[in-house]
Amino acid sequence: MDKLPWLGASVKRKEDDRLLRGSGRFLDDVEETLALHLAIGRCPYPHARIRRIDAARALELSGVETVLIGEQVVARTEPITVLRPFPGSAPTVFHGMAHGVARYEGEPVVAVAAVDRYVAEDALELIDVDYEPLPHVITVEDALRPGAPQLHATVPGNVVVESTVRAGEPDKRLADAAVTVDGTFRINRVSGAPIETRGVIARWAEDTSTLELWASTQTPHLLRAQLAHCLRMDETDVRVIAPDVGGAFGLKIGVYPEDIIAALLAIDTRRPVKWIEDRTEFFRGAAHAREAVHALTIGADRDGALLVLRDRYLIDLGAYHGPLGPPLLTSIMLAGPYRLHDAEIHRRVVLTNKVPMGAYRGYGQAESNYVREVLVDRLARRLGQDPADFRRRNLLRPDELPFKNVSGATYDSGDYARGLERALSRVGYETFRTRQKAWRQQGRHVGVGMSCYVEFTGYPSSAFLGRTGARFGAYESVTLRMDRAGRAALSTGVSTFGQGTETTFAQMAASLLGLDPVDVAIHRGDSQGTPYSVGGFASRTMIAGAGAIEKAAGQIRDKMLRIAGHILDVDPAALEATAGMIRRRDDPSVQVSIQRVSEAAFLGHPLPPGEDPGLEATAYFDPPSSAFGYGTVVAQVEVDARSGEFALQRYILVHDCGTQVNPMIVEGQVQGAVAQGIAAALFEELVYDRETGQLVNGTMVDYFMPTAADLPAFELDHLETPSPVTPFGIKGVGEGGTIAAAAAITNAVCDALAPFGVDLDRLPVTAESIWRALAGARAKG
Amino acid sequence: MSARVTVALRVNGRAYERVVESRRLLVDFLRHELQLHGTHVGCEQGVCGACTVLLDGEPVKSCLMLAPQAHGHSITTVEGLAGRGELHAVQQAFRDAHALQCGYCTPGFLLAAVALADHGVALEGAALREELAGNLCRCTGYQNIVEAIERYLRQAAGGRRDG
Amino acid sequence: MKPAPLEYLAAATAEEALAALARFDGNARLLAGGQSLVPLLSMRLLRPTAVIDINGIRGLDRIAAGDGVVRIGALARYSALQASAVIRERVPLLAKAVPFVGDRQIRNRGTLGGALCHADPAGEMALCAVTLVARLRIVGRAGRRELDAEAFFQGPYTTALEPTEMLEAVEFPDGAGAEAVVVEHARRHGDFAVVSVAATGLPAPDGSWRWIRIGLGAVADRARYARRASEGLAGTRLQPADVEAAAARCLEDAEPAADVRASAEYRRHLLPILVERALGELARRRR
Repeated sequence: MDKLPWLGASVKRKEDDRLLRGSGRFLDDVEETLALHLAIGRCPYPHARIRRIDAARALELSGVETVLIGEQVVARTEPITVLRPFPGSAPTVFHGMAHGVARYEGEPVVAVAAVDRYVAEDALELIDVDYEPLPHVITVEDALRPGAPQLHATVPGNVVVESTVRAGEPDKRLADAAVTVDGTFRINRVSGAPIETRGVIARWAEDTSTLELWASTQTPHLLRAQLAHCLRMDETDVRVIAPDVGGAFGLKIGVYPEDIIAALLAIDTRRPVKWIEDRTEFFRGAAHAREAVHALTIGADRDGALLVLRDRYLIDLGAYHGPLGPPLLTSIMLAGPYRLHDAEIHRRVVLTNKVPMGAYRGYGQAESNYVREVLVDRLARRLGQDPADFRRRNLLRPDELPFKNVSGATYDSGDYARGLERALSRVGYETFRTRQKAWRQQGRHVGVGMSCYVEFTGYPSSAFLGRTGARFGAYESVTLRMDRAGRAALSTGVSTFGQGTETTFAQMAASLLGLDPVDVAIHRGDSQGTPYSVGGFASRTMIAGAGAIEKAAGQIRDKMLRIAGHILDVDPAALEATAGMIRRRDDPSVQVSIQRVSEAAFLGHPLPPGEDPGLEATAYFDPPSSAFGYGTVVAQVEVDARSGEFALQRYILVHDCGTQVNPMIVEGQVQGAVAQGIAAALFEELVYDRETGQLVNGTMVDYFMPTAADLPAFELDHLETPSPVTPFGIKGVGEGGTIAAAAAITNAVCDALAPFGVDLDRLPVTAESIWRALAGARAKG
Repeated sequence: MSARVTVALRVNGRAYERVVESRRLLVDFLRHELQLHGTHVGCEQGVCGACTVLLDGEPVKSCLMLAPQAHGHSITTVEGLAGRGELHAVQQAFRDAHALQCGYCTPGFLLAAVALADHGVALEGAALREELAGNLCRCTGYQNIVEAIERYLRQAAGGRRDG
Repeated sequence: MKPAPLEYLAAATAEEALAALARFDGNARLLAGGQSLVPLLSMRLLRPTAVIDINGIRGLDRIAAGDGVVRIGALARYSALQASAVIRERVPLLAKAVPFVGDRQIRNRGTLGGALCHADPAGEMALCAVTLVARLRIVGRAGRRELDAEAFFQGPYTTALEPTEMLEAVEFPDGAGAEAVVVEHARRHGDFAVVSVAATGLPAPDGSWRWIRIGLGAVADRARYARRASEGLAGTRLQPADVEAAAARCLEDAEPAADVRASAEYRRHLLPILVERALGELARRRR
């Protein structure tokens, strides 16, 4: 294949024009005439029995159409299905609305449909729900105590699953290790917090008995499958449409209770029903992420060769196993980019009376990177080695790849040490160490921290997913169709939520068809008229999508060459498609426009004998393996050792995501992920009060998302090692920036405060947490 | 009880008059009464800035005003920047610098930037970042937004000098 | 998050506003900048029968100096304070505090009077008013009265204002020639202060300070004027020992609470550090 003309070009985005003009169409911009608007009454307690619901007064209020309660929902629907069950997990029956018992603050208990949201909220205030508060658990430790309140009869002891991954001889290695260090780390509960909240519009078509659901979702097809199952409908009778999605980051995957509620009310009322999540609901309803407690041990020999890793961790699942639930990648990526053959990873997924956990950018990988890289620094210190030298010694070399890690993941390609060296040279590491000493003499505490990661992108085949119990595949698909004017229309089930897929898919198709990307129209996010699709998550869309586009475009191109060959009376094998023309490779003056070829296909003549009309192809591509990106973050901080205040002075990320389809978009994805990584490392945490079980900071006022003034300018650098296992060598890129942030900054702070012997072991890192760690270190003396 | 009031105002240069419930938030009025959907809702608490509009030329958060408060005033929303014609300079700067991803927060940033240019403020770096602290973006990490607005402000200042 | 039903009235004069307040018998709220009030309405944490919009009252946003005071109308917006040369020159502490308030959009709408009546213990306007012993001019149907800022604030979100009264103006002593510093620790830019410290003083030609006033924010149920610490600094040159002593004394005025932003212990820990920082900065201004 010749070099693809638009592959690697920073093409300006197709999405931008409408979004810049305010003409994008987000969920709440879809205005349905005669729509009813939903307000949802949510359980104010972390755990409560619902004894009685009296909606009589609400139903009398002018403008109120109807009220839905959990009893009806449970009778009429199946529980929410799990897309990716944590293997071996016990079921937690999760309905679209609580009936009998509600298990987290925010769980839907009653819904009102009214003429507008204002009236619907008025009506909610008139509904009396008689709750009997039940004992609750807020921390995983409390949930595991003997006699702890039990959330689900199906889950004795609140442990949804307990399992161990073992490789090599971890016990022996631990005994052999000259040095071991251990630490217990608490990872904060955070939210992806897109600026657009969730939302849904359900419309029931009485004539065809079909349901149309507009949703702010990353996965229209998976949502359709789940929704149809829950509603006991045939999948073909449900259509899901995702308009422009205002950010998603993992939390808009799969079905949510509100989708079911809106659908039922649309069926009942025969009117469109709209629900727009407000921000207080968002923090109590949309998936939370990340919270876990790790007790990690690592050991090395006297020379600093990493020998063994043992982790015992608890994932705080919240009250139910949602569509995605707890991350599997925590375990899979614990070993990171190091040469490690012996490990034991023991995990328990534990129920608490909190919002169910779900996916969030960096899902599992940010967690495992944090605990490992912070402990690696401690191990290096214990060995008296520079943390960079320790990593240099233990990073896998290019000639050791492919490498199967202790959890069975096969790293495909890369030069991990090169990423580290590039980042270190950017910060001027050797000089820095000299300067650091001088600063210390002056009482200034400046530190550099690093964190290396290897990143799982895309899924290694549908068969792999199937073996692990997933209810979806690894593939992506497209339908490509040439129109009469010689333009291409590409249909994909992937929705648009900022990742630039419309542009990158158009670049790929244009390259393969001999067109300009402006001549590729993208139809996306509608389950009707697009082939089965998995959706945009797990850094998989570009890998799998590129494969599907390659196949579909290849079929169309071949047919175009046959038709052109017929028109030109030339052997199709001598032709190529480029710049809107089909022409002879060896004599470009012999040519015919793609427009004319397309018109011939549309008209049905002139065509070669036996050739069918039309230029259309649908293709699926199931990637055979995952591709592994990698990179290194180096952070520099200055800490005030008295107050704990600190400044993040530099943030350097060198990464490799393989072939870049659009470097401008890659850069944007990495910057955005870095910001979210820093946000979760330094600012954000969903805090629950252990006594009351209430979410303390469920508003944007109290959930500290960083502003432009809180983040430094990032210094990014890109390596480009094409993957040998994916189409065009593409690796996923959307998530990597989040992974290494927390460890790099933690290590930088600990490095700055090395004279005090400070260890940090919880997130977020705040001035107060540093002050506490300093006080602790001073007390230890 | 006069729970409904008449609101007469200009939006993007055009006069509108509507009778609304007095509790209606300005952002809901713009979006659902006037069908100007470019102004977005992110938090309804005045934190995220997605609902930023210009009120008599100054950026304000339209979720923090009741619609009746806009009576007699003039409002600019993102739809008023370029209409259907060529992109406004700030919009072009955002496109060129890849300063938007999902695009949900973008209208708020655009209007905040336009107000800076109107005041002749050519900020950059940290000072500009502080000035933009009333608008949250979750996709971009702000870096390209800051670059786009720096570029736009420089251009706007240059334009004034030349003109 | 939509407000409960309410009535909206636009008052053209203070008299109209007061009449309306009386008519609703304490169940109406004045709507100035609305930057705190409207979210409380949307969350239905407040549900007045009516809101009375005072934004149309002429002259209520006036800023004027005379008779040894700077008089600021209750409706003066933060952005107007920021732009005002009178404020910059004669109430420099206020000028220094305003940039810490919210963000540009908030400052374009929010008002001095609204902030004071909201009485957030972390609010910068209350901090300035208490530190400078501002006089608050209150008007009710029975007439006018004046209160010192310290008497006005009674606790978190609680003031001496009667439900039928209105804050008309705030008088700050004319501080021409004074230096001022505000330092804050916050969880993110523009966020509510974890601890804030205001320090202002008048330098004497001999290098000493005629007077110093220190205000403390977010470390008690309301903004505090650190009287003993401040009085101890009059006449000093803000030498390190003076500063340290004052910082320690400020702790006497602190009764911090824990919230999602910080623990009480950390606020106590930060307070003297920020006081030293503020006074150190003040001292540097003289050099």
